[in-house]
Amino acid sequence: MSETTVTPERPITVEEREVKPGFVGTNVPRKEDARLVQGQGVFADDMRRHGMGYVHFVRSPYAHAQITGIDVSKALELEGVYGTLTGDEVAIQTDPFFELSTPPGSEIKDYALAVGKVRWMGEPVAAVVAATRELARDAAELVEVEYEPLPVLVDAEKAQDVEAPILHDDAGSNVVWSGEFDWGDFDAALAEADRVVKIDRLHFHRFSSTPLECSGCIVEYERATGQWTLFGNHQMPGVGAIWMAPALRVGIDKLRFVSHDIGGAFGNKITLHPYFVACCLLARKLRRPVQWTEWRTDQHMANTHGNERTFLDIEVPVRSDGTMLGFKVRAIDDCGAFPRYEPLGCIIWAQVTPGCYRWRHVRVDFTQVCTNKSPVAPNRGYSRMQQLWFTERLVDIVAHELELDPVEVRKRNYIRSDEMPYETPNGCVYDSGDYALCLDKALELIDYGSIEQRREEAATRGKLLGLGIGSTLDSGTNNFGQSMILNPELQFSGNNEVATVKLDLFGEIVVTLGTVPQGQGHETTASQVVADILGCTPDDVHVRPGHDSYWNSHAGFSGTYASQFAVTGIGAVKGATERLATEMRQLAAAVLGCAPDDIELAEGQARMRENPEAALPFMALGAIINANNAGLPQDLDVTLNCRYVYRPPFEKPDVERKYGNLTLTYANQVHACVIEIDGETGVYEIVDYAAVDDCGHRIHPQIVEGQVHGAMAHGLGAATHEQFPYDEDGTLLTANFYDYHVPHALDMPPLKTDYVESPSPFTNYGAKGMGEGGGAGIHAVCAAIQDALRPLGGPIVTDSCNPPNRVWELIRDPEAARAGVAVESA
Amino acid sequence: MKLEGTRSFEAPRQAVWEVLNDPARMAKTMPGVESFDVQDDRHWKANVKIPLGLGVLPLSIGFEKIEERPIEYARLHANGSGVGAIMSMATGFHLSEADGGGTDMRWEAEVKVAGPVGSMGQRVLQPIVNQQVQNVLAALDEQVQEAYSAG
Repeated sequence: MSETTVTPERPITVEEREVKPGFVGTNVPRKEDARLVQGQGVFADDMRRHGMGYVHFVRSPYAHAQITGIDVSKALELEGVYGTLTGDEVAIQTDPFFELSTPPGSEIKDYALAVGKVRWMGEPVAAVVAATRELARDAAELVEVEYEPLPVLVDAEKAQDVEAPILHDDAGSNVVWSGEFDWGDFDAALAEADRVVKIDRLHFHRFSSTPLECSGCIVEYERATGQWTLFGNHQMPGVGAIWMAPALRVGIDKLRFVSHDIGGAFGNKITLHPYFVACCLLARKLRRPVQWTEWRTDQHMANTHGNERTFLDIEVPVRSDGTMLGFKVRAIDDCGAFPRYEPLGCIIWAQVTPGCYRWRHVRVDFTQVCTNKSPVAPNRGYSRMQQLWFTERLVDIVAHELELDPVEVRKRNYIRSDEMPYETPNGCVYDSGDYALCLDKALELIDYGSIEQRREEAATRGKLLGLGIGSTLDSGTNNFGQSMILNPELQFSGNNEVATVKLDLFGEIVVTLGTVPQGQGHETTASQVVADILGCTPDDVHVRPGHDSYWNSHAGFSGTYASQFAVTGIGAVKGATERLATEMRQLAAAVLGCAPDDIELAEGQARMRENPEAALPFMALGAIINANNAGLPQDLDVTLNCRYVYRPPFEKPDVERKYGNLTLTYANQVHACVIEIDGETGVYEIVDYAAVDDCGHRIHPQIVEGQVHGAMAHGLGAATHEQFPYDEDGTLLTANFYDYHVPHALDMPPLKTDYVESPSPFTNYGAKGMGEGGGAGIHAVCAAIQDALRPLGGPIVTDSCNPPNRVWELIRDPEAARAGVAVESA
Repeated sequence: MKLEGTRSFEAPRQAVWEVLNDPARMAKTMPGVESFDVQDDRHWKANVKIPLGLGVLPLSIGFEKIEERPIEYARLHANGSGVGAIMSMATGFHLSEADGGGTDMRWEAEVKVAGPVGSMGQRVLQPIVNQQVQNVLAALDEQVQEAYSAG
């Protein structure tokens, strides 16, 4: 078996310069915290406009039905109701949103409101606008919608059955996208193996992240210019505009997106375009601003969920010593009623094809289908979380079946630090990392050496103790060219982000970001970078909160998603600041009569290196260029207002081979979980938990630590109880916090954390994007349960969510849980 | 959800049967009836507002008598829809002579509430439905007594 490691042709490195102590890498106070902890943040629902109306959406109680009539007359008769919008109006006034897929998925017609048919329970059918939120809600109850129920499809594995109801008649199939991925030589791996471990079925469940702030916006329409201004919490307005403008039949310049503070997004604020378009139409129709805030139940029921994925017919060729050679699998991805951001999930997983492992032979048959459930969208760890859970499951099931130690199997199969940068079988380049070191640190934190002793002690209390590991990757800064592997016609590739930095009249350093922050501390980290370059302090740097597409710090891929701010956002800030620093030196040199290279920026001044007394404070520079510029040389091309577009070094992938570098950085997480299970009931408790994170050089360690905690909570919630099950009628069974329990502080085990810093050779500061590593926790819990139950017949954990009732089923019938796993001699 | 139970009436089986087959009297047993419309002897319609603890659930319900064996057994289907809810119910009544006179009624019902209301109320719906059933049975007892007394 041959392995290939590569050195990137064009590594991105910080320009060679002297190393000096700076603010990057330190825990400076967060700029955002003062206003947030004092309740002074400005969120979408805090905005008000004169004469605005409140929007309430009428939603479908059916999962699948023809709409045979809508009567809004009774709602309109109610005093204080300003107007309504129905699907028929939407179909006339807009075009369907464009689809990313090839046929049949590309034939799907997706509008802002249901047109002719509803396809999931909670789908918006009509909208009512009234003087108050409560009145709009009451009036919505007066909208009479007649439905003709249709058979419901909730099982993705049955979506292609002949008798399955078809959701989208235009597509003629429930399949959105399908394709085969074949890298290395899987047949040769089978021949080379001593054993083949076969697994019938693994299932990654449907759940979602839960932002504190629900989705929302105020939309104003300016008749004179035909422009909409959308004050809201869309987390990726660049892409939002690409969907919305063609649908509204206008240019992108007619959509101004503004955000201030956003109370978490996690991906489920990427596909708000249907709601925003409905609000645009209402603002234009009613000639007044309209405001929409999503209710929490609506967020659960009809905002986007994470992809549910089923892995079938799995084969893992393995040597007797536990060396795994690859895998073969048939994957079915359930994207719910509409693809929206999909089928990108059909390729995003390939960023981490072999997980953390040196597996070279992979064959994947991947199909994505529609069902009568809420649509999905990127959800913290989007598509990679499912794949990484799968690769981790393979390791633990193989270890279990071959009676090997999962820790040793991991170390045997991990990509080694001396192999970095490492090229995966499908051409992705893992930039840096030391997975074995992270594992050792995690094991040390949970006192691995004492596990057997603790197991015996727990047994004396009637408890079953188990240890589980989850080792995952957080691939960041994606190459949008991967979309071309799904659909070669798409004109997306690379990535970009923008920042502007200017020196204003009184010497204020003002930064604007394209990144649409949602709580990740961008104002703080950006100010650290600016301060280091300009020779001032972060307190001197004013980073405008939020985002405004009027700021000119906005590009097609602007936003915060896919673990990339530390690379793209910081790259843009650094580039713009370096341009500004150059201009400041040029201006100071012109004034002081020396060469720009003679000028240094320090202590809030531009001064001559050799004669620090000859100095111009930043205020003077700002005043000269903005208000006192007579006599400056005509060829001095200086504005002190600098814009920079950061562009990662990507190539377009090889579409034929489905091969190429799909993402720039790979942060690594290793979690270790110790649980105790009550053998009678299946109730369990996480008694020890450790997480080790390696995201390269950390710009602000405390912010990294906060992200690690958040991702861990997200993962543990998903592992233990957060799920969105549907009954056979397509009714969501966990539509509110009563049934969908999000872990709070008291639910969390004591967390032990540590870090490793493996600098990325491809990025500024050696930093990597991070914050989406919660998937490690999902697997760590699964593995701990499987380990704990080993004495009870060795049931295999095949599902990603394991509440106590499922653990009890494993205890009650371990043979059934083992039935789908077999080991064959190759 | 599936529900079942028994109820005894101090009235002959014929009297109970007549009440169960009298849409006007049955309407009086249902919670929050705003209007009731008898289309024919097998089909009725009702607009009701069912109390749900914190609010009411307005439903338009169509009833259909599916099967009957006079004074012994009747089976009924009901389908309702409202804002955020779809309700369906299949119910059956078995009447028998009680020891010492009177009538015993054994009944069963399968109730389904779907849509957002059903979704929200998975855990709270069962006790609410149980409470409403008790109210219906108590009202039915009143109607039987009233009809029997009136002769």
